[in-house]
Amino acid sequence: MSSSDLQHLEKEITDNIQRCWKCRMCVAMCPTYEGWFSQSAAGRLMAINLYIKHGLGDVKTLADLIYSCAACRRCQERCRELSTDCHPADTILKARQYLVRKADSEEGKD
Amino acid sequence: MSTPFKNVIPAGHVHIRDNVVAKGNLTGISEKKDIWAKGLNLPMQAEHMLFAGCGYQQMKYVEGMMSALKSAGKMGMGVGRVVGISKAFSKVGINLTNMTAKTMASKEDPYTPVLVSSVNVLRKLGITPGYLHETEPCCGSPMYYAGFEDDYAENARKNYRIFKDAGAMKLIGIVPGCTSALKYNYPKYVKGYDLEVYHILEVIAEQLKNSGVRPKVQEPLKVTYHDPCQLSRYMKITQEPREILKSIEGIELVEPDAEQVGRWSTCCGGGNLETSHPELSERMGDRRFEALQATGASIIVTNCPACEMQLSHQAKKTGTDIKVVDILRLLDEAL
Repeated sequence: MSSSDLQHLEKEITDNIQRCWKCRMCVAMCPTYEGWFSQSAAGRLMAINLYIKHGLGDVKTLADLIYSCAACRRCQERCRELSTDCHPADTILKARQYLVRKADSEEGKD
Repeated sequence: MSTPFKNVIPAGHVHIRDNVVAKGNLTGISEKKDIWAKGLNLPMQAEHMLFAGCGYQQMKYVEGMMSALKSAGKMGMGVGRVVGISKAFSKVGINLTNMTAKTMASKEDPYTPVLVSSVNVLRKLGITPGYLHETEPCCGSPMYYAGFEDDYAENARKNYRIFKDAGAMKLIGIVPGCTSALKYNYPKYVKGYDLEVYHILEVIAEQLKNSGVRPKVQEPLKVTYHDPCQLSRYMKITQEPREILKSIEGIELVEPDAEQVGRWSTCCGGGNLETSHPELSERMGDRRFEALQATGASIIVTNCPACEMQLSHQAKKTGTDIKVVDILRLLDEAL
């Protein structure tokens, strides 16, 4: 896993998130939503974006947010129909791949 | 000093990845996969190959392990620690998963009969399916949804060769997760992927229409249908199961409100999420089960081993007499 691949993945994720209008149509669609914005696709995407672009937030919380998605694609269906079609569920899966790649590259360093 | 990345990947997912890579199944159990197919005389080569998947074949073990994980969580031990203990044992040569799974395996096993039913239904509708028996690989889709893309891609290429060597051309998948992986994800990772993949409900719905057979149940039933995520949104199969249910004489289909039906159906929380967030998954199951219960149906019909496990767990917990039945078993009895 070269660093250019990792950068490419980062760009792919953030470009996708850029397309999100934050219309919050997906928020109530999320089956994990229990009142916190971070329990929805839009909230997860914002957290991922902040981490990748500005290094904000800690990795543990970020991973918890990313892995608490059920990957049911209900948000994606709503986004496709009513909003910008930014593929929220697929982007969250990409973010999981990003975490795994980061972990792999760490191991390579040791 | 920030947390290293390898510490934040949920241990349950890593464990499943290791099982698939090393043992070729989800649970790491070294029991024969094809026990259910004994006496069915399924050929190793046929036009239509059945892909049974780990889901139905091993769910009875997963059920025991999941309830062990959840009770460990209540005792204050995180999922990560339980998996860690099992890993430490495997390092000294003791397969703890194997041992606990055998003792914890649920006594009643509603999962493998679904596979037998699926073979029966296909045969009754004029299709003779084949099955790869022991050589059937694990599709590896949990690895994909946990982010292990490289392992998944490698597994996909390996599996493609297995199917090709067996001379398979058309695959009929039963577990929605496996089928959507074989149909939509494998072509992304395997060059020149040319297998035709169908979900069993597509095949059955078409055959039922063509053959004009009218299935009938003994006594009238009021049922509701729960759409598995992978089936309704990933594969867009929402009409077929409803057509099948409507074609059975004596069955009345009642549904929750439109915001909960078809491609808008809510996730029940079963499946991958259970490995990393058991408590959240439990609450999601509560919510979905309530919505299905409110329809007044006496049977919840679904077509996914993970959904079936989650919903029947809810049914047991609430103490209602609502049964959770796989659509294939219902159809097998009605045909």
